[in-house]
Amino acid sequence: MTILPTLKCMTVAAAILASTTALSFAKDLTVTVWAGGTGPNDVYRLDAIDIAAEQLQREAAIKGEDLKIKVEKKAYSGWEDFKQAMTLAAEAKTAPNIVVTGHEDIGPWAQSGLIVPIEDYVDLDSWPLNNIYENLMDIASFSGTVYGIPQDAESRPMFFWKPHMKAIGYNDADLDALPQKVQDGSYTMKNLLEDAKKMQDKGLVQPGYGFYPRYTNGPDFWQFYTSFGGTMEEDGKLVFDKAAMQRAYQFFADAVKDGVTKKNHIGMPADQWWKEVASGKAGIWHGGTWHYARYVNQEGLKDFFGNVIFTLIPAGEGGKANTLTHPLVYLLTSGHDKDDTEIAAQLIKIASEPRINVLHAVKSAHLGISKSETEIELYSSDRWTREATERLLPYANAMPNNADFGTYWNIMWKGLEASWTGAKSVDAAVNDVEGELKNTLGDKIIIR
Amino acid sequence: MRSSRTLGLIMIAPAAIMIVLFFLMPVVLTAVFSFTNMTTATGISGGAYQIAPNSLIALKDEMPEVVQQLTEPRYAIDEEGIKGVEGLALGPGIATELREKHLGEVFSSRREAERMIKDLNDRPSTRDVKQISEQFNRSVANLRFSSKEDLFASLDKFGFKMTSEQKEGLASATYTGWSWTTENFSRIASSPDMAQILFNTLLYVALVLVLFNTSYAMLLAIWTHYMPNTQATIFRSVWLLPRITPVVIYVLMWKWLAWDTGFISTFMGKFGYSPKNYLLDNAYNAWLFVVLINGFIGASMGMLVFSSALKAIPKSQFFASEVDGASRWQQIRYIILPQMRWPILFVTCYQTLSLLASFNEILLSTRGGPGKATEVWSLAAYHTALNNYAGNLEYGLGAAMALVLVIIGIILSLAYLRVFNYATLVARPLIED
Repeated sequence: MTILPTLKCMTVAAAILASTTALSFAKDLTVTVWAGGTGPNDVYRLDAIDIAAEQLQREAAIKGEDLKIKVEKKAYSGWEDFKQAMTLAAEAKTAPNIVVTGHEDIGPWAQSGLIVPIEDYVDLDSWPLNNIYENLMDIASFSGTVYGIPQDAESRPMFFWKPHMKAIGYNDADLDALPQKVQDGSYTMKNLLEDAKKMQDKGLVQPGYGFYPRYTNGPDFWQFYTSFGGTMEEDGKLVFDKAAMQRAYQFFADAVKDGVTKKNHIGMPADQWWKEVASGKAGIWHGGTWHYARYVNQEGLKDFFGNVIFTLIPAGEGGKANTLTHPLVYLLTSGHDKDDTEIAAQLIKIASEPRINVLHAVKSAHLGISKSETEIELYSSDRWTREATERLLPYANAMPNNADFGTYWNIMWKGLEASWTGAKSVDAAVNDVEGELKNTLGDKIIIR
Repeated sequence: MRSSRTLGLIMIAPAAIMIVLFFLMPVVLTAVFSFTNMTTATGISGGAYQIAPNSLIALKDEMPEVVQQLTEPRYAIDEEGIKGVEGLALGPGIATELREKHLGEVFSSRREAERMIKDLNDRPSTRDVKQISEQFNRSVANLRFSSKEDLFASLDKFGFKMTSEQKEGLASATYTGWSWTTENFSRIASSPDMAQILFNTLLYVALVLVLFNTSYAMLLAIWTHYMPNTQATIFRSVWLLPRITPVVIYVLMWKWLAWDTGFISTFMGKFGYSPKNYLLDNAYNAWLFVVLINGFIGASMGMLVFSSALKAIPKSQFFASEVDGASRWQQIRYIILPQMRWPILFVTCYQTLSLLASFNEILLSTRGGPGKATEVWSLAAYHTALNNYAGNLEYGLGAAMALVLVIIGIILSLAYLRVFNYATLVARPLIED
């Protein structure tokens, strides 16, 4: 009778002992990853972490560790819901381990402590991180500290519908020369509006479809400000160049006045916009490199290169031809166990390896993050990624990672929307923007 | 008597807790938030002190040398640091090699210091490299301190000679959290945009309320009053459909109707009109649709209230007026309307308050556009506090806007209570005296 309790005791003790020994080698971990602005072509933003987890588990096994990683993925198709969900979750200490978001979030999120620097967890001097383009690594930094790892790169070109361009007098040689002319500054924003008008006057496109810009707020519009000579940031301080902004606003107001852009264009249904630009219903428009994937995969534009030509955003008065890269970055959120964060950082590192990242670049028509990636056949044999990388990426600017840039952006967009829709005259809109910037940002912005 | 009072308190306790938690607390929190400059960048839960180059820009003119020193990372291989490395209990060769080959070296960035550490004979793992480099950090650059005291202690530890005034200046320049302010209210008061939004709100409430929630609702109630019962029920049910359809689908149907590949455009195309987005074509159109969408939903509530009130009017009055040869219009004017005073007042009050706070239909249809033409106060507060493409949510300003709305709501409620003469409504019936 006394044996049973003793036996029980010993079994329990053995079990406890066994579990602690096992614990020292085994780790079960769930890594959560959220990605914003992620559609069906961008699945590798999340799946790359899955592939990385598989690799890291194998590496751990070789070292004699039993590491089990479960990756929980969540894609948000839009941006606003994603940012709301992420910031509120982080405030409530329930943020995912990894987020994939626009680099401009690094400023405010780093300042409020929602994210931690990735350079505290990974060796930036080792492969593959030391192979990532230097400028992209700068974009993923805030105040000299590397917070994120670029997940992709892109640029935002101007697109022209070739058949319509031919119908207004361009021949094949002219069209082939167009990207270079835009780059040299001999084809300008003024020419663009003229061509858009010609397309409409010839009845090739309906009124308001000559120049068919992005239909919502987005980073694209900073390209127009740059194109008219504006600067976003200088020596760590935001800059509002009043005259350049006025010229940029005037460009959209003129487009509406000439009837080549619709006054009510902003806020139109997304599906309609995509369908129209991919079918020649619009003449000239701007978008992102990733648009290629959607035009070809979802919108049925099979012969892209036969129908569309792409260039930098042409120069306007006082500025130069440019484009904007808006890399998404992998970020580590705060509030997690340090060991877990380290594993999350390792996953990001592995996911940034060329062979894995190239899956995302080619599938989603984004651009590669490293030199070696462009040497992988899947990438180099893809005409779109190759040409876009060569022709656009060298001229790409980025928005500043400044904690106050979001405020500036909002006010800038409000002014653009008001002058576009005619709610305010361009002069009034620019003056109101200046007033509001002074009111809200004070000496954090240089106004000139 | 006493026990029944205690029992009453106990019975009401759950409701009281709910009221405090879900009705009072949000208002109190909104009021508290509205006196702060909280944004995503400042965080909600409180800030830290971070010596990041960008936070020191403002101090550059005041104390350039100090700022220069503070922002320069400095990694010094000294005896203190090497002792720290020994304390980490890593490979014994690491500390020895550091002492023999690198003692006295100074690196201007962590990356450079770490490159040296990675070149040691016993190459440490990335994690150990980070731990080792930390032992040699002799600057406060890019460090986060949870309190002012920690920051000052580090400044002293690293030998920065600063007056207490300079320290305070540094602390306020590098604080990342929120602070108390009344600026939100001055921004609301001085911004021309806010005046426009206020005007939009008044226009929206007035149009929907007058045209649909009361007038059209009354019309529906009177129409159905004169219909045979079955037809009246069917008619009323049809008018309830907009209210019971999920709002996203309901608004989507309006959008299908109005956008430039939609029904109206197709129909008008038959008469030679080029297609256009009727919903967002111009501010007038947007307003027309916003009022229609909300009106068709809102009219049903007034219709139900008015219909039941109409039923309460004694039928004999209608029969008597018929005998006297009264027309329909005379019946409406002399029998129905005078007796509907209270229901009309009730619907007006209730709908004013709910229209002031409602924005989901506008958000789904026009998003406040075109060009902020249909942006109403509650939608603007939502956009400011919780919805922002650039990810910098302005909680403080949004809360201040919400508070203004709460105050308007409270003032209106009090005014309505006075109009209703609440005291007489809840007075003890005379018969019980």
